Amino acid sequence: MRPVRKPAASAAFFLGPATMVVLVMMCAPLVLLARFSLDRFDPTKMMIAAFTGANYLRFVTEPYYLDVMRTTVFVAVSATALCLLLGIPIAYRLARTQSRYKSTMVLLVILPLFMGGTVRAVGWMILFAHGGMLDLAVAAIAPGHGLDLMYTPIAVMIGILSFNMPYMVLMLQAVFEKIDPALEEAARGLGAAPGGAFWRIVWPLSLPGMLIATILSFIMSMNAYATPVLLGGPRFHMMAPQVYVEFATNNNWPFAAALAFILTATTLALTLVANRLIPGRYRAP
Amino acid sequence: MHDDQDRKPGFRISRRGALAGAAGLALPAVLSARAHAAGKRVVIGTWGGDYARLLHENIEVPLVIPQGIKVIQDVGDEPPRMAKVIAQRMLPHGSMDIACAEAPYAWRMHNMGLLETLDEKKIPNLAHVDPNMRSDFLVPHIWSPQILIYNPKTVSAPPLTFGDLLAPRFKGKVGFPNGNNLYVMMAASLFASGNVDDLAKAKALLIKLNGNGLRLYPETDTVGTAFKSGELQAGVMWFARVVMWQNAGIPVQASFPKEGSVIYISGFVVPKNAPDKEAAYAYLNAALDPRAQEGFAKHMGYLPTVTNAKLTGKVAQQLALPNPKPKLIPPDYAFDAKITAGFNDWWQQTIQKA
Repeated sequence: MRPVRKPAASAAFFLGPATMVVLVMMCAPLVLLARFSLDRFDPTKMMIAAFTGANYLRFVTEPYYLDVMRTTVFVAVSATALCLLLGIPIAYRLARTQSRYKSTMVLLVILPLFMGGTVRAVGWMILFAHGGMLDLAVAAIAPGHGLDLMYTPIAVMIGILSFNMPYMVLMLQAVFEKIDPALEEAARGLGAAPGGAFWRIVWPLSLPGMLIATILSFIMSMNAYATPVLLGGPRFHMMAPQVYVEFATNNNWPFAAALAFILTATTLALTLVANRLIPGRYRAP
Repeated sequence: MHDDQDRKPGFRISRRGALAGAAGLALPAVLSARAHAAGKRVVIGTWGGDYARLLHENIEVPLVIPQGIKVIQDVGDEPPRMAKVIAQRMLPHGSMDIACAEAPYAWRMHNMGLLETLDEKKIPNLAHVDPNMRSDFLVPHIWSPQILIYNPKTVSAPPLTFGDLLAPRFKGKVGFPNGNNLYVMMAASLFASGNVDDLAKAKALLIKLNGNGLRLYPETDTVGTAFKSGELQAGVMWFARVVMWQNAGIPVQASFPKEGSVIYISGFVVPKNAPDKEAAYAYLNAALDPRAQEGFAKHMGYLPTVTNAKLTGKVAQQLALPNPKPKLIPPDYAFDAKITAGFNDWWQQTIQKA
């Protein structure tokens, strides 16, 4: 008689192959990329097998690339902070509303996600361009003046903000929904002002979820591609477009691979730092 | 002996089942190979939009599909297309039979040893291609001279040389697509020294141009929009774009620089590991057919690369080069292939960041 199979063994049987496939599909390209990043670039042969850290050294020794990284981190942190600041009231209101139009409101929040990021960026281009809607509106209000936001850091910031906002709001709404309104009512009953009840009750309870939403927004901002290219123009540089330029335009795969790893490592490091900023007792278990 | 508990939970794979499953996994590959063997098929890596549509309307439908060749367009930008050819170089069969490529990209791929040397006997229409545009790995499809573009409504005295763009009257009003930087370097070099490969003199001139408020754009179409809105008054562009934008009602004119015009050539290459080279050759020959070439000239404003294409009416008028014929100068592609990456780095760090 064969032994009875344990449930854990059955679970492993089902999960094992899928997990292996995901691991291999995720790790194999990363290993390959890591290997490329140690190769040497040659304009005619493209990649010469080597084992050098020159590509990483180039990044830390050339001020231009450090400047690109600084811009990327600045934009990502600013856009994420703004996203959080604007997203919290919207998400909180959505979570607490009893309106029969609640689902319509949620739909309005996610409506921008129905369009691709590039299409949305093109929409912003029409709005921001010289002679665009915003420029003409300002000229109509104040003749002789205009507002040309195209190819400015502000345009990029607005573009990234609009891209990340639906994700932030949806995640925060789910976080607030899980916090029992009775807790706030109890605080109010004990004399806390609405702001005080939010700050003393909702804020600490929502911190773990808020951290996850913030990290997601930060990662998306760090890796933004279409928005900086289309709204920032050729003179505005962020890391993801820089990786593309090295990979596709210069065919410098070794340096592009090194840049990709540096971007990933920086994002990961900053995410860990953000996690440490949250007091231990509020972190997700 | 089997008890009930042994049969019920989960599912168990028998040897026979495992073999059948493995065979099932291989089925798509077998079917695909059969489908390929059943009829000729050509996969062409191309730009999307109008170019892809015109390939379909002028080459594929009238000239290729009637030969029993199925055509699949692999649409995308040029840098990823080249990256795909590079990435697939070790495979016995790549995914593309033909890749659309601008001449500098073709040269770079050629230098890497990725391209097939063309068998001219299989492309009879090559005999009609302008000898100055021929090479043994690129079938030139369309071409256009580089010109100085300006808005005739706001510019009374057109720029006549590249140097005119440095004039104070054009401060903050000159621009071009960032992706054309290599060709603009050639134009600057041509003005500064009479050659297309004087990098040092070209760089000095480009720094001056940048100091005069040079505007850079992420896409070629955004330059057209900038001329329409009045943001730009002059720039460096392809003659074909002037024709296209004039037809779209944008106020632009072309001025052929006195020092000469660098020529832009775009065409087709065949990767060494193209799965169906015979079908590729049939497509390339069709692309050089005068009817196909006339169709492209009519709709895109690029000039035919074959001498037996006859342009008539408005197209002939619009695409006619001035008399006396301007100096047309081909780029030094071998030189460009060597300096592109370094020049792009310099461009980013010196021009874009200034």
